[in-house]
Amino acid sequence: MKSLSLCNISKTYFDPYAGAHVTAVHDVSLTVRQGEFVSIVGPSGCGKTTLLNMIAGFIPVSAGEILLDGRAVNGPGRERGVVFQSFALFPWKTVLENVAFGPKMCGMAGTECNRIAREYLDLAGLSHAADRYPNELSGGMQQRVGVVRALANNPEVLLMDEPFASVDAQTRMTLQEELTRIWQERKPTVIFITHDVGEAIFLAERVVVLSKGRVLREIDVPLPRPRSWDTLIDDGAFKALSATVLQLVREA
Amino acid sequence: MNPLLIGWSLYSRWSARYPAVHSIVPFIPIVALWAIVAESGIFPRAFFPGPMDVVFSFGSLMYKGILPDYLEDSIVRLAVGAAVGMTLGIPLGILVGLNSRAHTMLWPILLFFQAIGDIAWLPILLIWFGFSLTTMTIVIVYTVLFPVVLNTALGVRRVPHDLSRAALCLGASRARVIWEVVLPGALPNIMTGLRNGLGYGWRALIATEIIVGTSGIGFLMFDARRAGSVVEIMLGMIVLGILWYIVDGWVLAPIERATGRRWGLVTQ
Repeated sequence: MKSLSLCNISKTYFDPYAGAHVTAVHDVSLTVRQGEFVSIVGPSGCGKTTLLNMIAGFIPVSAGEILLDGRAVNGPGRERGVVFQSFALFPWKTVLENVAFGPKMCGMAGTECNRIAREYLDLAGLSHAADRYPNELSGGMQQRVGVVRALANNPEVLLMDEPFASVDAQTRMTLQEELTRIWQERKPTVIFITHDVGEAIFLAERVVVLSKGRVLREIDVPLPRPRSWDTLIDDGAFKALSATVLQLVREA
Repeated sequence: MNPLLIGWSLYSRWSARYPAVHSIVPFIPIVALWAIVAESGIFPRAFFPGPMDVVFSFGSLMYKGILPDYLEDSIVRLAVGAAVGMTLGIPLGILVGLNSRAHTMLWPILLFFQAIGDIAWLPILLIWFGFSLTTMTIVIVYTVLFPVVLNTALGVRRVPHDLSRAALCLGASRARVIWEVVLPGALPNIMTGLRNGLGYGWRALIATEIIVGTSGIGFLMFDARRAGSVVEIMLGMIVLGILWYIVDGWVLAPIERATGRRWGLVTQ
């Protein structure tokens, strides 16, 4: 059984202005099973992005260990795909080249890279935009590219850092529904960072509430799938869960 | 309707169809004024020749083969200097831009040596290398190098951090990140550096040819001064302007259009 385990990880910065050490993440332990969708929710400054950056390997942990299938994580790697809030698409590459980038870096032949890229563009309904450049697309379409670019590399874990925070509200709902559909089809392991309680519950199997760098509570989300906003928006169980989590986040 | 507006709209349509119109028409009043002053006889002809005198002088120097030779010498010197300057400057700029230790150590040195302008090196270079091609090449390379290094470093530092991170977690090695992300991301700034470098290099070349000169457009002009030939000096000046126009319009601008603008890195 493949899984991602965070074992008592902490992150301490030295703040040169305050002249003191600041703890952003404090003794967090968490296990994510293969194929599970976990949302990490919390107010700004709770350390959720720091946590994700450590899992991605962008910044080192100060203490503890991150294990993927029992191997310690050390630096960024292709088995952990990341979707960024800023989209982070390469402006000088077409949509197709962006999505084919991961396979290309793994040394696959050009035609094979393009075949994979086209397959994933199909998955996100983006085939028509394959030859466009990112700045010619809307924000929602850019982030669709960001998601399938990460998926096309077939990562063991997909790390998403507030990916839908910078698109408009309607597009955000569509993207959330598309993400649940893709997750049900492909069952990737996902860690999804957000400050939006509704989004966290809508997408996840399990919601982790983070507060001041610590895990405050883990809550299972037993809502049935497929999920859509049309049905969930008035769903009693969804509302009750939202109220519970919102309460925790506000107290956090 | 205002006849001026009609004229202007005709001109806009024309110049859209034939881009050369754009480069020629604005000079018509200047040349006309020049011709009027020259023809009016306020100044002696040898002292202030008219446009046609320059055209004849151009024809005669072309016929004798002096102008093509000198032009070739100047352009080859600039091209070699620019090529060497870029080959040294772009990697150095990437190093300074990426590595904060290299930045700390090298930036003050770069600023210091940038301040010693190109021709300020001529006295010492003339002692070391004499009136030679080496002296000229060093001055041009030196002039091209700094704008390229400083702008490349600036461009490298402006590439969003997330882009490098995205490439890394898609499986790119550090070397691939430089090739796939840092270089294209810094390209608009590298082009700015190259544009400035070529501009400064061109001026430095002319100045160097005047001092070191055995051939070249700068030498042509200075030699003409010795002979008191105002017409050839004017010809040299016009050739300088036209050449830059060509380099800018046919080489630099198309590259910029094809890269930065299409990618949305540069606003129109």
